[in-house]
Amino acid sequence: MKDDYLWDKTGQPEPEIQKLEEILGTLRYQPKPLELPVSRRRNYLPLLAIAASLLLALVAGAVWLRSRNQSVPQRHEAQVVPPAPKIDEPEPETIRDKSKTAIAVVKPRHKSVSSAFSKREREEALVAKEQLMLALRLTTEKLSLIHRKTLNTTPASPIKNQHRVG
Amino acid sequence: MKTLFRMKITMPLILLIALPIVVQAQDAHLQLSSLDHLAGKANQTVDVNVDERLMKAAAKLLSDKDADERGVKQLVEGLKGIYVKSFEFDNAGEYTTADLETIRTQVRGPGWTRLVNVTSKKEGNVEVYLLFNAEQVGGLAVLYTEEKELTVVNIVGPVDLDKLAKLEGQLGVPDLEIEKTKKNNEK
Repeated sequence: MKDDYLWDKTGQPEPEIQKLEEILGTLRYQPKPLELPVSRRRNYLPLLAIAASLLLALVAGAVWLRSRNQSVPQRHEAQVVPPAPKIDEPEPETIRDKSKTAIAVVKPRHKSVSSAFSKREREEALVAKEQLMLALRLTTEKLSLIHRKTLNTTPASPIKNQHRVG
Repeated sequence: MKTLFRMKITMPLILLIALPIVVQAQDAHLQLSSLDHLAGKANQTVDVNVDERLMKAAAKLLSDKDADERGVKQLVEGLKGIYVKSFEFDNAGEYTTADLETIRTQVRGPGWTRLVNVTSKKEGNVEVYLLFNAEQVGGLAVLYTEEKELTVVNIVGPVDLDKLAKLEGQLGVPDLEIEKTKKNNEK
């Protein structure tokens, strides 16, 4: 009879079996909805990839900006142009000529300003100033051609091509 | 799924790589380095590179007492750079139209407008381009071509054309009396 309890749960159970049932009963299967492991575990790979690409782009941008800033100021080359009649100051200009070597003449001026500069900064500023003047001189020279041409093409009298009415 | 994942990764990467190129394209600073090879053929070369930092340093040395320098100082205030490349050759035909196209393609970009185009057999051709940011001038480019000369001027920043015109007659350039002509016209 006692064996029937183990077979189909009929009859009186043994106390030992009943005790075991109580202990193991907590581990019994309990029906609940299915939980997919995907919802519990999040995939961080795309986020990591985006963060890495952002970092890469930032680093590339920084390197590009640095190389650009370093390369531009190092080039201070200019040719000799006809001396400006209204500028008394001697011009520190360098010649890049096939037959000539580079010449640089820098004479400091503006003592009040120069005190705020270091020697190197002042020289750099002087060269920059001369380059600036040379660039503006060239620009105005080329623009003057436009003005000359437009003056030539403009009719002398604005009423030249008008017809008398009446 | 894999294709979607790859798209998610590659699209931001492409956008991030393209971003600096797009930003640079809207900048008034032209890339003139494509003309560097002409220096070997040229008899004389002018290469001016004054960036914002150098411009500020140079502006400190410009005197307020001298009228010419005061004019230049007012002009360069707010400018971010002036770049010039000029080549003078012994013989004609040393530069090609492809060289010019490297500059022209840049000034055909968005925001740029060709202001003037003067053609002269004797004195050469001048093209003036302006970059407009909204209603403000954001940059200027001058392309001067002659049989034996090629000059490109690129001014980055808000160029005041009136102030630039006032520099005519100074800096060794003959006075073309733009202002006087205006006054006479007003009269």
